[in-house]
Amino acid sequence: MRGFWPIFKRELFAFFVTPLAYVLILAFVFWQGLHFYLLVRSFAQATEASIDQGPVQAFFGGDVFYYLPLILICPAITMRLFAEERRAGTIETLLTTPVGTAGVVLAKFCAAMVAYIAMWAPTVLYIVVMRKAGDLDYRVVATSYLGVFGIGAQYIAIGTMMSAVARSQLVALILSTVLILGFFLLGLGEFVLDEGATRELCAYVSVWSQMGELSKGIVDLRRITLDATLVALPLYTTTRLVDAWRWG
Amino acid sequence: MTTAIAVEHLVKRYGVHAAVNDVSFEVQRGEVVGFLGPNGAGKSTTLRILVGFLGPTSGSARIEGHDVQADPHAAKAALGYMPEAVPLYGEMRVAEYLRFRAELKGVGRAARTAAIGRALELARVVDVKDTLIDHLSKGYRQRVGLADALVSNPRVLVLDEPTAGMDPNQIRDVRDLIKSLGGEQTVLLSTHILPEVEASCGRVVVIDKGRLVAEGTPSELGALRRPPRLELVLRGAPARGIIAASPFELVSDHDEGDARRFVLGTPKKDEDAAIEALVSELVGAGVGVRSVERGKASLEEVFASLTHAHEPEPAAEPEGGEAA
Repeated sequence: MRGFWPIFKRELFAFFVTPLAYVLILAFVFWQGLHFYLLVRSFAQATEASIDQGPVQAFFGGDVFYYLPLILICPAITMRLFAEERRAGTIETLLTTPVGTAGVVLAKFCAAMVAYIAMWAPTVLYIVVMRKAGDLDYRVVATSYLGVFGIGAQYIAIGTMMSAVARSQLVALILSTVLILGFFLLGLGEFVLDEGATRELCAYVSVWSQMGELSKGIVDLRRITLDATLVALPLYTTTRLVDAWRWG
Repeated sequence: MTTAIAVEHLVKRYGVHAAVNDVSFEVQRGEVVGFLGPNGAGKSTTLRILVGFLGPTSGSARIEGHDVQADPHAAKAALGYMPEAVPLYGEMRVAEYLRFRAELKGVGRAARTAAIGRALELARVVDVKDTLIDHLSKGYRQRVGLADALVSNPRVLVLDEPTAGMDPNQIRDVRDLIKSLGGEQTVLLSTHILPEVEASCGRVVVIDKGRLVAEGTPSELGALRRPPRLELVLRGAPARGIIAASPFELVSDHDEGDARRFVLGTPKKDEDAAIEALVSELVGAGVGVRSVERGKASLEEVFASLTHAHEPEPAAEPEGGEAA
């Protein structure tokens, strides 16, 4: 873990100093605002309300408005992490200081997570708005944000790995988007496939079901385990990749 | 223990091509050693293995007694390294960058400001400390890289072509700085520029096509020079016949304006008398003698003879291949 702090701080600095960060944040906030507006309109016109299909459930994973920005924004946050260091050659000065590979990878991952969390932060305002309009179960809000965190961590870990695979940011962006999208679509298999082992597998990895459960306050340890695995595996692969560059 | 850098039987292969082929050398504490070779000789690859950025195919490298493979943290902690291309984070300001680097290299919080001030001072970048690195000229970037290598006050400095892209004044400053570091710090600097070595290095290691071809002080290597040469600029047709009849061997000749420059190999015996005789004969025959110059015993010549004469194939391989 040597070198974690300075690299973490530098990565955050490097992210927030670029115009890209603000373009991403602006696009994300605009998207979520639109999403929330559409939900409010739809609920205002609804004649009957269901107990487990309220605005919180709709906002956190009830429709594709939730997933689309995740699939597109996580790779955009992570594409720079290693690809840019290799393009600019700064990886050489970085790895010739007394730092550990695990420290470098974790610092970059955590910085990307902070950027991701910062993007979600403004959505807390919508919770405040909902609170003013009616009753709100804060435990459900908390588990929903747990889902936001868990799925984001998976996607950011995959993006971090792809940034170490590709030499160019663009290729890293494309590779991680394709991989994340593929994984997301695999989960959708639970809605289209017939009964059977494949459908069960799809249901197990489905982020849609995961968000569905979490936004109703259901915390399933199996899903948390899967999340943790899907974060740890790409990050471990990344450290192996970074170590392997020395033998290239 | 007084050995600061030890490289033993280092080999680095990319497929069948050996970028570094069985290179061994040592650098003692406080020495300033020049690592010399033409472009593509394997200098950068050797240095990259030495600083732990690349892994060797076989062989080992130690810094201050720490094996860079087995104990990379200790080896890297003793090291200040400036890569050839001087990669920097362009979006940072110079002082910010040095602060980041100092923290990364384990300089304590209390000592950091003083360490940064010292590095800025030594590398002469105080005036640009608040400038964005992206806005710096090549020469300044180079010196920021040098400040980075110096910021942790390391015992061993490895500099890959530290003066590339600098103007003559900056080059002189850097040479003086390197010279002043010797004694306390150990410096290994690579270059293909000969005067740099003669000006600042106590010892030279010469590498060509991945192999070590010579090692010694600049004057020791000077003794390896080729037989001395005599260069004449002459005007007039009889010159060539007179030279052919003399004990001198014609090495090359080419036109120089209305005259011709002849490069001659001098005879082994009675060199002075032979030169006198040749010149008087030329003058006697009405040849215009414009210049008579005896070959200089420079490292330049030694370098040329060491790195080109022993193998005929002239094809230059790209340095380090797909290294980074």
